[in-house]
This record gives sequence, structure tokens and C-alpha cells, in this order.
Amino acid sequence: MRSKWEKLWIGCLLVIWGCTILTACATKEPTVIQTEEEEPVTLTIYAQYADEDTKFPYDYAAKKLKEAYPNVNLVLDIQAQDDGQKLQTYAITGNLPDIYQAGKQQIEAFKESGNIMLLNNVVESTGFDEKVSEEAKNILYDEQGNVYAFPYAGNEVVLWYYNKDLFDKYGLTVPKTFEELLTVIKVFQEHDVIPMALFGKEKWITTAFYDVIATRYESGGINSLDNGEVKELNEGYRKAAQVISELAAAGMFPQNVTNLNYDQAAELFYSGKAAMMLNGQWEMESAYQKMGDSVDWMYYPSYSEEAYEAGKEAWAGGGTIGGYAVNPNSSNCELAAKVAAFIAEKYCEAKYLYRSNPFVTVKITKEPVNSFNGMTTRLLEATKDVSYTRFTWGLSNAIFKTEIEDQTQLLLTAQYSQEEFCEEMNKILEDMQTE
Amino acid sequence: MKKFRSNKLAIFLFTFPALLLFIVFVFIPILQVFAYSFTKWNGISAPEFTGLKNYIRLFTDKVFYTSNKNMFIFAILVTVYQMVFATIFAIAVSDAKIKGRKFFRVAYFIPVVLSVTVVCQLWLSILNAESGLLNTMLRSLGIDFQQNWLSDRYKSIYAIAFVNAWQWMGYQFALIVAGIKTISTDYYEAAQIDGANAAIAHRKITIPLLAETYKSSLIIAITGGIKAFTEMYIMTKGGPGTSTYTLAYMMYSSAFRSKEYGYGLAAASMLVLECLAAIIVINAVFKSNDLDAVKKKKRRLFA
Repeated sequence: MRSKWEKLWIGCLLVIWGCTILTACATKEPTVIQTEEEEPVTLTIYAQYADEDTKFPYDYAAKKLKEAYPNVNLVLDIQAQDDGQKLQTYAITGNLPDIYQAGKQQIEAFKESGNIMLLNNVVESTGFDEKVSEEAKNILYDEQGNVYAFPYAGNEVVLWYYNKDLFDKYGLTVPKTFEELLTVIKVFQEHDVIPMALFGKEKWITTAFYDVIATRYESGGINSLDNGEVKELNEGYRKAAQVISELAAAGMFPQNVTNLNYDQAAELFYSGKAAMMLNGQWEMESAYQKMGDSVDWMYYPSYSEEAYEAGKEAWAGGGTIGGYAVNPNSSNCELAAKVAAFIAEKYCEAKYLYRSNPFVTVKITKEPVNSFNGMTTRLLEATKDVSYTRFTWGLSNAIFKTEIEDQTQLLLTAQYSQEEFCEEMNKILEDMQTE
Repeated sequence: MKKFRSNKLAIFLFTFPALLLFIVFVFIPILQVFAYSFTKWNGISAPEFTGLKNYIRLFTDKVFYTSNKNMFIFAILVTVYQMVFATIFAIAVSDAKIKGRKFFRVAYFIPVVLSVTVVCQLWLSILNAESGLLNTMLRSLGIDFQQNWLSDRYKSIYAIAFVNAWQWMGYQFALIVAGIKTISTDYYEAAQIDGANAAIAHRKITIPLLAETYKSSLIIAITGGIKAFTEMYIMTKGGPGTSTYTLAYMMYSSAFRSKEYGYGLAAASMLVLECLAAIIVINAVFKSNDLDAVKKKKRRLFA
């Protein structure tokens, strides 16, 4: 027989358990719908809010919104790092938030299914189009000249960072050719320094590395493969795969490169255990804060010194349509569109003024709070009138994206030959032609 | 009891709620999986019927064969590890002479109650090729067997399968311990009188009498191996490249990364069929063993 106290405890636990389940099953509070613009309106926004680089600009934009639109209550739904699954589920179930961050592939899919609002009129009425810099116009308009999202990220690039102190310590110069790079790798290995910390668990960076090397031979890089310009891997793309195989075999990356995440790679680089690192230009501010003048970026090495010089104008990365999009089925879609434009603009402002990131879509005339570091100023100069490729999230073909991500990650293991890579990639390119 | 069983309405009333839930949440979705596997679908727009195209592509896709190979490796390793160690540990803790039985009983089960994410993170640290506990230990012991456990194209699947086997062994252990408890001690006493030692007694009594428990354990272990996904997702993201893909991971990658829901569901259909086939085979094996036992018994009776 159970004692009275035992029964009471079990009863209490059951009540708590029941309440937990009921709370978990409860649906989200519905959006407060008010038709009058001056009356309180609650808008939900699905946006990135993961690290300092995304938290600070969002908070800044939300604060400015409160001043400009005091009646709007913005409820943040943090974007999941899940290849867009959550957003897609929202769309399928008719639960899309009023404003959401969308990339190129989502925009294309949502255009077909009527889940994204055409913003051509709003772009004009809010004057957003005039605020966007000339170089970033390609990010605002799609191929048909329509606007589906208010972008904030400009033409960002893949940067090859290096630790100047380590290079000086071992009497090395910045490699201009792959041969010089192999020498650098050898010297660092002899001194137990990891030549390059690449966070290869994230497959976009393995693709970016392939793109960096491929642009030395073919300036279109992976973009030319994605848009169907190149129907079969030509000599340049094959050589790029060969170079990566050789670099991997020479020990350029840590042993567990395909299992290394960003935090681990950054730690290796910041602590001087790794001499080089690849990431977007957005890493500059963090790297500079951690390493000061010891860190710098280099132009991508190439197959010859002439090619190195010529290749300075071909950058891996680049912008693509995407940003804050609006749910056309929102009860407050007109207001949501204005808010989305406002948030995008203020997001750019925050990045430019406070995060020392000038690679934004909107022209900012004010001076940044902290003047740009030397790396940033040099990069701004270096990326004038240059060509770009794409980051993987800007690729238009999801099947190609998946395939190249998987294949380039395999190349880093030094257990995968250039022939295997080319065979698989050609197969997918052929399938893309058939489709 | 007889009267109750003849009451059709009562039977219907008691089984209907569970049956309804099963039909709505399991049976219909499985049928939908098969239906959508014959379409080209991006998950949002209307699906377009494409006949057997997804299946033809699936059978010519290298990743499908890699996934199947990994699935078999995973299922076999998990099953062997769990069955062998769970049996040994269960027999050991069921022996009244063993000291600290209660402690071991709890200790073996602890990994089961841990979150998969926690277990994967733990093993990620242990298996880290550069600074992991395992390689460091091997190095300090002077054993030249350091491996690139999770970034090796050919070996990483074994490391991941081991993590799964390690975590869920406790579950099989609990099932077998419960099974052993149902065996009457009379059999062991009789065996002892006949001169059998402990090993023979367990081989001749414990293991044969646990046939039904083993059947359930085998089904759990094999189907668990076939539908493995979480460990790959957390530990290697299916990598390097597609080296640690299983059918479940292939389904995920096709549907959510490539946005090819139709193709992903064709992989899912194969997964369902393979699970069913595994269950049928296990049932058939145990059934034939039962029949053999009955035949032997009859032969002895008529001899």
C-alpha cells in the first residue's frame, strides 16, 4: 500500500507533467490584428539572431523601429540553422510570419507557391531603391527586375586570412603560387603549426575553398556551373580539384577537417595554432579584435605569378537576392513591408557604423563610430570593379548546391581523387541539363 | 473471459481509439510517403506525377548504395555489440554472488537516459583526431593506432555505429535482465544436480528460454540500425561528403537540402520496405527455430 505522502507526491508530479504537456502543446499567441496604423500592431519576424554579428544589428534595428513606429510590436522568432526547413514548414502549414528572412532558393520556391509578396511598389514608395548603392543593385532586383526581399548584406567575399606574426617567425612570405603555398605548408608542419584551419564540418566553406581555387582558372567559379554556362567540368575546374587534392595530401588542413566547426577553427587561428583561415569578410572585425595587427588577408594564390596578378579581380563570394521578405497573406502586409524595409536599412546602418562592416546594401553617409581597420580599408579598395561568384546560399539550383557541398568536403580528406570528383560533378551537371 | 471475448462491441470500443491513432498518425502517412514517392515535388507547390522515375534514379545513384552499405554495417555492428555485451552483463548482474550488482545494473542503463545530443558531443570530444581522449591515450601508451575517427572516408561509419551501440546497449540489457528474472531457478538447480557448470547452464537454459526476448531485442537493434540518422546528423553531417549517409540521412538530404521531396520519399519508401523485410526475416528465423524444436521434441517422444 502506498503511503498518503507517496500518493500526494505522485499526484503532484502528474499534475506538473500534465501542465508541461499542455503548455508545450499550446499554439503560439495569435498576431494582434489591428487595422488602424496608429493602433498597436504586433508583427512577427523570423530572422537571424545567433551571434554578435547578427544580434547587435537586429537589436539596433528593433530599437530604431520602436522610435519610428511606436505602435508596432515586433516579435522575434529566431531563425534556425536548418537549411530553411522551419520556414518551409511554416509556409506549408500557412503559418508564415509577417516578415521573414529568405534566400534565393526560398524566394524562387515561394514565388511559385504565392508565399512571398512582390515589393516593387514598396521599394519605390519607401525610397529604398534610391538608398541602395549602385554596386548592390544586383542584390535588390531579380533576373526579371522584381523585388521580393529587402537585402542588407552587400557583395561579401571569401577572405583568406593569415597570421602575419607566424609567417614572420618562420621567415615565410605570403604565397603567390600553389608551389609557394606547398612550401609554406611544409614549413608550418615542421614546426607543428596547422597551415590552415578550415571549419569543414560546414559544407559551405568547403565549397568556398573550391570556388577560391576554381576562380584562379575560371573567373565564373561555381556560379558558372550553377547557372548552366559550363555543362561539363573543363580543364580549369578539374585542375582546381587536383590542386585541392594535392594541398590536402600535403597536410594543409587539420586531420579532422571535415569535423571541425567554426568555433574550433577560429580558436585554432586566434590562438596561433593555425597560420591561415578561410571565412567571409565578416570575420575581419572579430579577427582584428582578437589578434590586432597580427592578422591580415591575402589575395588567393594561383598557378603562376601572372595568374596571381590577373586573378586579383576575381573574387569568390558575392551577393545575391535575399533579405527581409513579407508574407502576402499577413493581415498587415502593407505595414509589414514598410517595417521590413526599415529594418533592412537600419541593419545596414548598424553593421556599417558599429560593426565596421562596409559590405552592406544601403549607402551610409555617416562616419563609422570606430574607423575601419587597415584590412577593411584595403579590402574596400581591392574589391572595386571586380567580379564575384556566389556563396552556396546564393546558388539557384538546390540539387547542385547539395552535390558540390558534399563533393568538395570529400576532396579535403585526401582520400578522394580528382577523377572521382569530376565524375560525380559531371553526372550532376548532365542531370541539370536534362532537367 | 470467454463472455467478454464474444462481446464484439467491447472489443471494438477498447481497440478503436488506439487503432484510429495508428491509422491517422502511422498508416496514412506511410501510404502518403509511397504516393508522393512517384512525384516530383519541392515540398510547397503541387506535386507532379513522374511514375517510376524517382525509383529508377534511386537504383542508379551511388549514394543509395553507399547508404545501404552503411546501413548494413551500422545494423550489424549495433546488433552484435548490443546482443553480446547485453547478454554477458545481464547474466553477470543476475548472479546473486556478484558484488555491486545494483550499481552495475544502474550504470549500464545510464547512457540510455542521456540525450542523444549529449552522448554525441561526449564522443565527439573523445574521438577528436587532434586532441581527443582516445588518440591521446593511445599515444601516451605508445600504441601506434591513432585514427582519424570521424573524418576518414572509410572508417567513420564504424565509429558512429559504435556510439549508437554503446548508448543503447543498456536498453537491451534491461530487456534481457527482465527476461532472465522470469526463468525459474528450478531449471538451474536441476542442471547443477546433473553436473552442469554455470556456462553450460546459461547456454542450455538461459539463452534458449530467452528466445522471445532476443527476438524483440533483435528487431529493435536491427530496425534501429536501419533507420539510423541522429548520430550522423550530429557527429558528421553525413560526411566526409556522403561517406556516412544512411537511407534516413539520404532521405533528409534529398528532401530538405536538395528540396527534392519526391526523391527523398522514394528513399523513405525503401527504408520502410527494408525495415519490414528485416522484421519478416527475423520472424521467419525464430519461427523455423521453434518448428525445429517441436520436431526434435516429437522425435524424442516417438523414439
